[in-house]
This record gives sequence, C-alpha cells and structure tokens, in this order.
Amino acid sequence: MPLDGTIVTLREERREDQRLFAALRNDLDTQAWSRALPPDYTEEMHVKRFEAMEFAFERTSARFVIEHKASGRAAGFVSYTDAQHRLSVSIGIVVAREFWGTGVALDAQETLLRFLFDDLGLREVHLWTHTGLPRAIALAERSGFTACVRLRESVFKFGGLFDAVIMSLVREDYSARRPEKVDRLPTLGG
Amino acid sequence: MSILARHEGGILLRAFEPTDVPELQGILNAPGLAGRRYLPDEFSDLAPLAQRHVEALVNQWQKETKAWTLAVVDAGALRLVGYVRADWRWDPHCPSAHGVIAPDAQRRGFGTAALSLALGYLFEETPAHVVSAWLASWNHPGLAFAAQCGYFRAGQRPRAGVHDSVFFDEVAFDMLRREWRAKEATRHAA
Repeated sequence: MPLDGTIVTLREERREDQRLFAALRNDLDTQAWSRALPPDYTEEMHVKRFEAMEFAFERTSARFVIEHKASGRAAGFVSYTDAQHRLSVSIGIVVAREFWGTGVALDAQETLLRFLFDDLGLREVHLWTHTGLPRAIALAERSGFTACVRLRESVFKFGGLFDAVIMSLVREDYSARRPEKVDRLPTLGG
Repeated sequence: MSILARHEGGILLRAFEPTDVPELQGILNAPGLAGRRYLPDEFSDLAPLAQRHVEALVNQWQKETKAWTLAVVDAGALRLVGYVRADWRWDPHCPSAHGVIAPDAQRRGFGTAALSLALGYLFEETPAHVVSAWLASWNHPGLAFAAQCGYFRAGQRPRAGVHDSVFFDEVAFDMLRREWRAKEATRHAA
C-alpha cells in the first residue's frame, strides 16, 4: 500500500521510473551533494540497479517515488538510509525542477516523516545538506528540522566552498506539532 | 621516509599483522573502551569480541583502499597500545580521523602523537581541506582529547544511541587545513 499524502503518494519504484531517476541523477542542481557525480548516467544503468534489488526482511534503507496525485506523474523520490532500528535514520529528497514551488516536496517529506515516526518508531530523523542549498534548508525547517551540526567548508560545489549542515528532528518535537495525536512509543523512563 | 613511519611522541605507526590479533583483542575488550571503540558498523562497540571477530576486523581494515587503520606502537616497549584511523571514502576534501588508545596506555601522549601523524598525513599528503571527528557525548575524555588536539566543536546530533539509560548525542568536530598549519607553526616555534 502506498504512503498517502495530501497532494502526493509515495509508492514503490518501478521499472518505468528509471528514466526519471537517470535524468535527476544527471541534473547537477538536483543531484546537489558535494561529491558531484559525472552527469552521464543512463536509464539502462538505473534499470540494472533496479533489477538487482532483492527481497529482504532486514531493511535499513528504502526509496519511494513521489507521485503527484493531480497529474499522476512521478515528481522525484524520497529515501531513507542508514536506519538504526527504533532509533534514527537519515533521509533525502530529490524533486524534478518543474515541481519546485508546488508543495510536492513538503508533502512528500511530511508523508515520509509520518511513516518513519508512526510506523518505524524512530526517535530521530536527520538529513545532510549544505549552505549552498537554501531551498533545501528552508524545506527541512518547514517540517521542524533544526540545524545541529555545521562542518565548515567541507563542501565544494557550484564553484565555491560551503558548510555541510546536518538538520535533525527528534520525536518529541515532531509529536509536539501534532498535539491531537498521543505518542504511545515507550520512553526510556518507562 | 613515510610520514607515518616516523617516530614521534614515543610512538610508531605501522600496519596491523595477523600476529597483532590477540593483543588487539585484549585492547578492544578492555572495559574502559566499551562503547568507544569506534569500529565499523558490523562490529559491536560494546559486546566482547571473539578472536574471529578481531581477525575479521583486521582483515577488513587491510582491504580498505580509501582509509587506513594503523597500529599505534609504543616505540620504547614495542607494545601495541591502540590504533589510529584516517578515512576519506566519502570525499578526500573532507576526510575524518580519530584514534583509540588502550585505557592502560592513556595519558602518556600516545593518542596525541598518533592523531598528529594522521592529521599530518591528511593535510600534507592528500587534498584534505577539513578533517572531522565524531564522538559520543558521554565520552568526556574523548571530547577533551579532541579539543586538545585542535579540533573545533561543530555541533551535535541528538539520539545517536543509548548509554546508561539515556539517549546520547553524536558530537562533531572539525579542523581546517589553515588551523592545522597555524597549530603546527606554533608547535614548532615553541
């Protein structure tokens, strides 16, 4: 069952999504991260990666396609990696340029957070970004993330040096934004 | 002579050999290092390690091509006292470096000397611009040691783990090349 948001659905990736993934990978703006990859990835490379995925119960990462409900189109993807079960996880989001400013990224992020906190029972969610990406920082802040680590000049991108930033959202702060919902996850005190 | 083969501060850095396994196992299982061995994720940071674990660990360290973990040897007694690691797997621009010294060999300058050699290697023999280190917030001796070695506190990520029935944070440190050079200039002038 896909994860249902307000204007987006997060669903499993499919073979037909691989063309979009290659395009996003080859866009140096959406690729975003410090160690830029050469923009020469092909759909075939992504299909091979997709076909190599195997079933497993023990998962520490996942990737969901962001499907825009109104148009039915794939708008990008959200992912989580390095999950420490019942503790913390790192997330990432990539949205195609034509969907920037439409609310798709925020809704996808909120939908993923609901899954991570309500279904996976995590205590903390964080993401890595850098000071050359004010849109990414603003997006994270809109979901309640705050910058907790700033590694100086550790990113070289767009021809300049930027600080890497870790932004974090702890369970208590996430729950405080939803006072109507009682958090029943056991605390260390109980 | 390789920068890492220098005798400095009474230590020598050399590669781990299979014959180091029993001594390394003893160091890793010292109660004073529980929770602060800073090993790869596949190895417990807390539980006792069997000889086979330590053999696998050394084997894994030896296979790495974008990181090294070297034995820290007391040059006087020719005794293994710990290990020091430099890791540039993510990006040679911003590697990490840290050292671990056996509890009974701490406070004798071995850690400072080992980390100094590792930082010297990264800043003098690689394109590293900034080096980071990551420590648990409850590891007060480690935090003090990092600051003493010239690292600057870059923030802390919450909910990195559980220790003594409370969540702890992961504290980040960084040091820029120009800070390293200034520190070295001061050291040599003294």
